[in-house]
Amino acid sequence: MSATFTKSMARNVFYGGGVFFFLLFLALTFDTMKVLPKRDNSQNITPAVAHGKKLWETNNCIGCHTLLGEGAYFAPELGNVYVRRGPDFIKAWIKGQPTGVPGRRQMPQFNLSDMDIDDLIAFLKYASEINTNKWPPNIEG
Amino acid sequence: MEAQSPFTTLIEISNYQSTTGKKNLPGDFALWIFIFAEMLVFGVLFVAYAFTRAYHVELFNESQLTLSRTSGAINTLVLITSSYFVVNGVSAIKQGLSKQCGYWLIGAFLLGGIFIIIKILEFHAKYAADISMSTNAFYMFYLSLTFFHFMHVLMGMIILAFIIFKVLNDGYSAKDYVGVETGASFWHMVDFLWIILFPLVYIIR
Amino acid sequence: MKYTSQAVAKPYFIAAIALFLGQILFGLIMGLQYVVGDFLFPAIPFNVARMVHTNLLIVWLLFGFMGASYYLIPEESETELFSPKLAITTFWVFLAAGAITVLGYLLVPYASLAKWTGNDLLNTMGREFLEQPLPTKVGIVLVALSWLFNITMTMLKGRKTAISLILTLGMLGLAVFFLFSFYNPVNLVKDKFYWWWVVHLWVEGVWELILGAMLAFVLIKVTGVDREVIEKWLYVIITMTLVTGIIGTGHHYYWIGTPAYWQWWGSIFSALEPIPFFMMTVFAFNMVNKRRREHPNKAAVLWALGTSVVAFLGAGVWGFLHTLAPINYYAHGTQLTAAHGHLAFYGAYALVVITMISYAMPILRGRAANPERAQIMEMWSFWLMTVSMFFIALLLTGAGVVQIWLQRISTTPMSFMAVQDSISIFYWAREAAGVVFLIGLLLYIGSFFVKGESRAIE
Repeated sequence: MSATFTKSMARNVFYGGGVFFFLLFLALTFDTMKVLPKRDNSQNITPAVAHGKKLWETNNCIGCHTLLGEGAYFAPELGNVYVRRGPDFIKAWIKGQPTGVPGRRQMPQFNLSDMDIDDLIAFLKYASEINTNKWPPNIEG
Repeated sequence: MEAQSPFTTLIEISNYQSTTGKKNLPGDFALWIFIFAEMLVFGVLFVAYAFTRAYHVELFNESQLTLSRTSGAINTLVLITSSYFVVNGVSAIKQGLSKQCGYWLIGAFLLGGIFIIIKILEFHAKYAADISMSTNAFYMFYLSLTFFHFMHVLMGMIILAFIIFKVLNDGYSAKDYVGVETGASFWHMVDFLWIILFPLVYIIR
Repeated sequence: MKYTSQAVAKPYFIAAIALFLGQILFGLIMGLQYVVGDFLFPAIPFNVARMVHTNLLIVWLLFGFMGASYYLIPEESETELFSPKLAITTFWVFLAAGAITVLGYLLVPYASLAKWTGNDLLNTMGREFLEQPLPTKVGIVLVALSWLFNITMTMLKGRKTAISLILTLGMLGLAVFFLFSFYNPVNLVKDKFYWWWVVHLWVEGVWELILGAMLAFVLIKVTGVDREVIEKWLYVIITMTLVTGIIGTGHHYYWIGTPAYWQWWGSIFSALEPIPFFMMTVFAFNMVNKRRREHPNKAAVLWALGTSVVAFLGAGVWGFLHTLAPINYYAHGTQLTAAHGHLAFYGAYALVVITMISYAMPILRGRAANPERAQIMEMWSFWLMTVSMFFIALLLTGAGVVQIWLQRISTTPMSFMAVQDSISIFYWAREAAGVVFLIGLLLYIGSFFVKGESRAIE
């Protein structure tokens, strides 16, 4: 071995380094899972919330909105919409879609029952009470 | 192109080494790139610690008192001694003394084990006191830094174990000892980081 | 080509480009909907267009990766592909599944699609990028396994090079991490946490192994630089990728309910994520400068160098722009994210697949390189697409900065929709850049049909 920069050592460092940092990531994940119950508002997950989350998903709300900042950036952030608008406004809004104003972005009519909408709102309420390290910066999301 | 980017410099160093055979860094250059990256991460963490501390001096001073300086100091001695063992191991293999090299490295490995045990006791004490990374900024840094370093010690021990195994089976010689030097470089880095970490986190107020 | 079974790559490449075109068309629809809100409503609402846009991206890149590996692995392993038949079957299955899924998105209300495809059995749908119905998700796993199996078996019976090992490892990671798409707990924080194990660990982890392997392969071929040198640096670069990228996942864990320490871990490690991309740029240019042969395929060299530069800009620089927690606090979930996403995906993944296609396709068609005129057309398409994508990124960055200012920093914050109205000029310009991009892509497709004298394979 005359060369002091070898492919075999580069390979060893790759495998070693990759495994090392993945294990570190697992350790941090382990700690995160332990801490989560204090932050994730999971004590308030009711059957209504669970059903609301399912409605959120099966109507592909994330395709336009963001939730805790993740999703599409086409329509408003909904992680704090419960606080921003309140349940009555949300209900009326969902029912009133689409607005049909020419040239404006349109939200489809999803034909949800009153109970469905209540569950969706329960989900949004639950989401708004997750400890997000004070994000978003203000009520506008 | 790229008159003198850091990376071009790296390539030049490596070319210099492999073409001239002269060495300005012991061991394999591939690991040195890794070491540079690690030092960078630790460096940033140390600076981040210092800055955060400047904003929360009282909190840091108060929480720092709960650390066991004694175990930190013992561990410092343990690691410095282990580095000394590793140095002796490297010079043994340069003279072709595989057995001696193996024994020195086994010594270093065992010292690493002692470090691990002491560190686990420290972690356990904090865990028992219900202290975690989420407790406050000081503990966030203390646990992050020491755990990250702890994993490096484990990694270093695994590397030493491989080298010990190989050297005792006459896998290295007076002509071919780059592998030993490479492992030694990693171990010295681990030691070096602790020598900064210990005063920074345990002592400086 | 050296091995006849490499020919199975051809349909994969063709499908990749066709789906790429589809992706861009839907991108243009969305871009227009940003400013003319009711465009194509209610036939194609924005969420549907976006689903098609992003899913097509993923699928065409996967087609590209698969085609690339079916081309590359036999040559690296110096043996015929284990089963060309399986590769072709997998192609048709994947294409059919992809087509049916997209048609499902377009023709059926998403909620009904969910109901009919067994989403009640196992909720996996309705999460960004993972919108696929359950059968499609299972199909993706099967396709990935078939691909992995075929490649691994080929490698086992032949030469094992670093490039093929890294590529296979990347594919294995791709398959393994996709399994997290089946885990969707009611707990929103956990849902998001593991969602990133698919999304982040794909694009800033295992996909980069695939990217690195593909780029290294093409560089060896077009520069003639010693394999030892290229593979050595490939290892070093992907080591840095994993060192920074795995813990770098933390930059997604700042504001989704996960502990605050991720702000430190995520910021520090992801701040270093540009390093491997920078290394890749310098590496690619170094290798081309040290070339030992003048490969007749100049276009492929341009695509390869372009990949390394735009990946660095898009993933490295634009990622860094908003990765530090204090900045991300304001930038999170704005058009800045979209700017980064576009340039990074284009630079790192779209370009590397085109690099591979551009290098391999002429050979699959029986010549070392395309005729001069075709190559010039390709180069035009490179510059049109790259410059227009750069403009898209710049314009969305502008939109994002104004958005952050008006909505989040100003003492009298404006509402989301009011802000959107006030930045519509950026969106109009973005749409124009998008049209230029489309022209570039059409030129690229056109270059395949240019006839002329071309050099035969030596």
